[in-house]
Amino acid sequence: MAIVLIDQREIEIGDDEHLNGIEAAERAGIEIPHYCWHPGLSVAGSCRMCLVEMGTRDPGTGEISMLPKLVPACKTRATDGIVFVTNSEKVQRARAMVEEDLLLRHPIDCPICDKAGECSLQDYHFKYGRDRRRADIRPFTSRRREVGPEITLFVDRCVQCTRCVRFTREISGTSELFLSGRGADGEIAVMPGFPLNNKLSGNVVDLCPVGALGDKDFLYQQRVWFLERHAAVCTGCATGCSIWIEENEDRVWRVKPRENPHVNHWWICNDGRYGYSHVHDSRRLTVPRRRDGDSAAVVDWTGLPELLKSRLRESGRLAAVLSPFLTVEEAYLLAKFVRQLDPQAQLALGPVPTVGEDEEFGNQFSISAEKCPNRLGVEQVIAHFTGQVITFEQFLDELEEGSIKAAWVSGGYKSDWIDEPTARKFSGLEMLVVQDLFASPLSQLATFELPGAAPAERAGSYVNRADRLQSIRRAVRPPGGVRVEGSLYWDLLAMQGLYNAPAALDEVIERIGYFAAAAPGVPESGIDLKVNLLADSGGLDKLDQA
Amino acid sequence: MSTTERILTDEILDAVREFFPRYPTRRAVVLPALHVINERLGYVPEQAVVELGELLELPPPEIQDTLSFYGFFKQDEPRGKLRVWVCRSISCSARGGEEMLEYLCRKLGIKPGQTTPDGRLSIEYAECLGACDYAPAMLAGDTLHKNLTREKIDAFVDSLE
Amino acid sequence: MIDYQPVLLANIGKKDSHALAVYEAGGGYRTLKKVLGGTSPADVAAAVRASGLRGRGGAGFATGLKWSFIPDRYSGQIYMCVNADESEPGTFCNRVLMELDPHQVLEGIILSCFATAADTAYIYLRCEYPLAYKRLQAAIGECRAAGYLGENILGSGFSLEIHIHRGAAAYVCGEETGLIESIEGKRACPRIKPPFPAVEGLFGKPTIVNNIETLACVTHIMTRGVDWFRSMGTPSDPKNPRDPGSYGPKIFGISGHVNKPGYYEAPLGITTRELINDFGGGVWKGRRAKAAVPGGISTGLLTEAEFDLPLDFTGPIKAGCLGLGTGCMVVLDETYPIIDFLHNSCRFFNHESCGQCTPCREGTRWALELVQRIRAGRGRILDLDLLLEIADGIGIIPGTTICGLADGAAWPIKMAIRKFRDELEEYIKQTNPDGYASTEPALATAQ
Repeated sequence: MAIVLIDQREIEIGDDEHLNGIEAAERAGIEIPHYCWHPGLSVAGSCRMCLVEMGTRDPGTGEISMLPKLVPACKTRATDGIVFVTNSEKVQRARAMVEEDLLLRHPIDCPICDKAGECSLQDYHFKYGRDRRRADIRPFTSRRREVGPEITLFVDRCVQCTRCVRFTREISGTSELFLSGRGADGEIAVMPGFPLNNKLSGNVVDLCPVGALGDKDFLYQQRVWFLERHAAVCTGCATGCSIWIEENEDRVWRVKPRENPHVNHWWICNDGRYGYSHVHDSRRLTVPRRRDGDSAAVVDWTGLPELLKSRLRESGRLAAVLSPFLTVEEAYLLAKFVRQLDPQAQLALGPVPTVGEDEEFGNQFSISAEKCPNRLGVEQVIAHFTGQVITFEQFLDELEEGSIKAAWVSGGYKSDWIDEPTARKFSGLEMLVVQDLFASPLSQLATFELPGAAPAERAGSYVNRADRLQSIRRAVRPPGGVRVEGSLYWDLLAMQGLYNAPAALDEVIERIGYFAAAAPGVPESGIDLKVNLLADSGGLDKLDQA
Repeated sequence: MSTTERILTDEILDAVREFFPRYPTRRAVVLPALHVINERLGYVPEQAVVELGELLELPPPEIQDTLSFYGFFKQDEPRGKLRVWVCRSISCSARGGEEMLEYLCRKLGIKPGQTTPDGRLSIEYAECLGACDYAPAMLAGDTLHKNLTREKIDAFVDSLE
Repeated sequence: MIDYQPVLLANIGKKDSHALAVYEAGGGYRTLKKVLGGTSPADVAAAVRASGLRGRGGAGFATGLKWSFIPDRYSGQIYMCVNADESEPGTFCNRVLMELDPHQVLEGIILSCFATAADTAYIYLRCEYPLAYKRLQAAIGECRAAGYLGENILGSGFSLEIHIHRGAAAYVCGEETGLIESIEGKRACPRIKPPFPAVEGLFGKPTIVNNIETLACVTHIMTRGVDWFRSMGTPSDPKNPRDPGSYGPKIFGISGHVNKPGYYEAPLGITTRELINDFGGGVWKGRRAKAAVPGGISTGLLTEAEFDLPLDFTGPIKAGCLGLGTGCMVVLDETYPIIDFLHNSCRFFNHESCGQCTPCREGTRWALELVQRIRAGRGRILDLDLLLEIADGIGIIPGTTICGLADGAAWPIKMAIRKFRDELEEYIKQTNPDGYASTEPALATAQ
């Protein structure tokens, strides 16, 4: 156990922990400002904003002897007996010097810069900078340089922290960005023919402490202080990166990574970052329809749940296709509802979209080839009810046999997921309910076409490919005519009150052993369900593993 | 990138390969390789950087990064057959080096950083050439011109064929 | 007059002094043969340590102490980097050694590598020294042919390869970790220390970086002995236990406004006045000296009143200079405007800053712009105080930068303004009579 003294506050550091001065101070509740340091990247120690005073405390006498010179906290390991001073006049002067230095040649762009409101240069200036400009006044606006399809560069705003350069070398492994030139003439650049074009490129905008690197997707769209952010999970693949969904008045403007040391650390891929456009796509289904013959009339939600229940009850053998985009709670509630109506109801997993291979990057960040968030969770729910998992292909075969009379199909895929020939296999059903985001060959055949929710509109939990369960709450309200899946199923089951995802999860945890580890509660970074799989859990454990 | 002819000839590539056994990494060959290319081509265009990246198995932007740090390697067009570096540091400056530079530039009709239209010669600033005992001095190719005077500069310009 | 027989410069007057035959005829490589024939590496290191040899490249760090930082009981790869980058303005003494007596240097390199168990040495040679390159290449070839380099040298079991690695005109490559980064093929941005190169250096291995002249001294320490080396120079101050003294000979350079610019060898500790008058032929054109740069522009300025301080590792510091530096002096006469010195220095450091550290990158640029504005006749008295504040804030001494380039940039500013304040204020008032007292920021002209 190491004891470290920071500004008269003592903190403990475990023997297996490696903290630098910045991290140790954070533990003591003290901010050490910094630009170039980032926990996910190598240490440059070049911005010099994190300079602090350092000394040692004699273990016997308790006497403190300080070094005469400042040291960079990012590069100084917090070892036993070390003393940091972050609030002395010497440190304050050094910070003011660095701030003044960075503003000398900085363009006066705040009014037109996206970063305003979340800019380290601004924030540190207010906290640590001088109140008057002493250097010659230089009114100019930044040059702009294209560096790649997603990212734009405002060259003159750069403070040469080199985080972006280190990111493309150490994390994405693509080395597109570099510093061209030397000294004050240094500029971030790309080579012609080698644009910033990798799947993780959006992360450099998060890393940039100022407004030099900009997201073309977000450029000039919103002022950040109007955005409210909600903790969420990306539904783009089975990695299940933790994210922030940032919205204003129910419109999503941007997606950012949320730090999760167990899943994605500090990063997300571009598919996740820029893949939310379907939430506000004007082609979304927004009203329920009922099809009689060739006409499909809009129906009211009032009374529709009762109507669906009674029609399904009349139909004979039921089935439900549970999309891997459903939350655990939604999958469970839908399965429970259908099995209540028909204890022999077939439950099948919806198609699992797979694209390419799994990809690995630095910091053990990876993108899964499986492009859905909750296959494992939905499989476990299905197996609990039926004792097995039927794939979509197997289900299609079963459809052809003809014993199934009615089916509830949940979609929720970002784009086309079913073609005409496959959809036709459903045409023999007496009743077909399709609950989805967009029209498809299948929804054209549906007796009842129900508009479904986008991921940002749901509350619930997903299980990623590493058996980690993460829970989210709704970020935005859905378009007017949409009833979120969980809310509809809650009603269909005649549960009391409004949809309560945590209560639904409690029931899942109680009933399905696989989810037992989530019983004490689900932290912000999720919970590893594998912890309790030694216990008898039924379900998939009893199956032969493929 | 269009499929143009390779600009790093086999001779250049072989000359670069000779440095391989001297270092434990290919990256360490970058600076010697840049010199080899610069000496043969008179500059190091971006295409050469790409081809060098293939030879050394390094991403070309990483090589470009190193190259751009040193002001020594030009990339836009070849420098003159003779590169003239005129020192502007303290000893040469104190003994009239900047006036000598100005005189030479006027005689040749070009500014520092430029090349004569016939491509014979280019002039550049140098920071301390380490010839302070012969200030003011200039390095023309491999020849150090010492104790410059207007007469010596006249003679130098006349000697250029 | 100094009565002294040159040792480092003993050969250079001979015809073909750079040739192996000439070097050996004068006794060269006898020391190498003797050492490889029976002295242990530890004994060589001990001799260098005992001699009190301090680096001649500018920092003056005790060589034997630096060698001792290699971890004990380490038996892996060790590198030697020879710092032949010599880019400090005013400095040219390494050039002389490499052009006119490269074998003296090579013998020192081989002896030092033997002492430190380095089996590969890279000579980092600035590309602006084409003659030195040619001579070193030839000398290395001669050594290989004579069996002084390669596998199992002279049957000793010690092997060594020396490679020349040419720089590309960047002053920061003279900083030992900048040099290492440059050899590795990256931007020559110095590394944070610790770890020190002797622990983790070139390609991650223990590395010793030594200057050309320092290594030439090793040859003579092993030839003539520790006592000889310590017989000259300035002994350590008995009242200061941290003073390792300034022993041995030094090649002093002198240039600028003197009658006989050139290089002259003398024991450490001669004075500026002796260097100028006894060696440099006195100030030129019958003028007086206004100031002298003791050892490369980064050391600052000595006023004429300070010309009697010894030129050793402590003397210039007593006058507020950064140190002895390279011992290559630049003399500025009474007509020379200090604003020109200030401008020349600020222009140099702005050009050479690697750009990593905010204070140096922005501070050297800001300093240049201030000086340019002063020189253009739009200066303010306040600008001198701003320049001092910038200079006092940057460097490894306050701890605000990674390397000492910033200190080198700061010192000329500090010395010029603190020692010649009146002249500079006068210049500002004369050239900007209407605006010199202003305290408002000016509008910057286009860059």
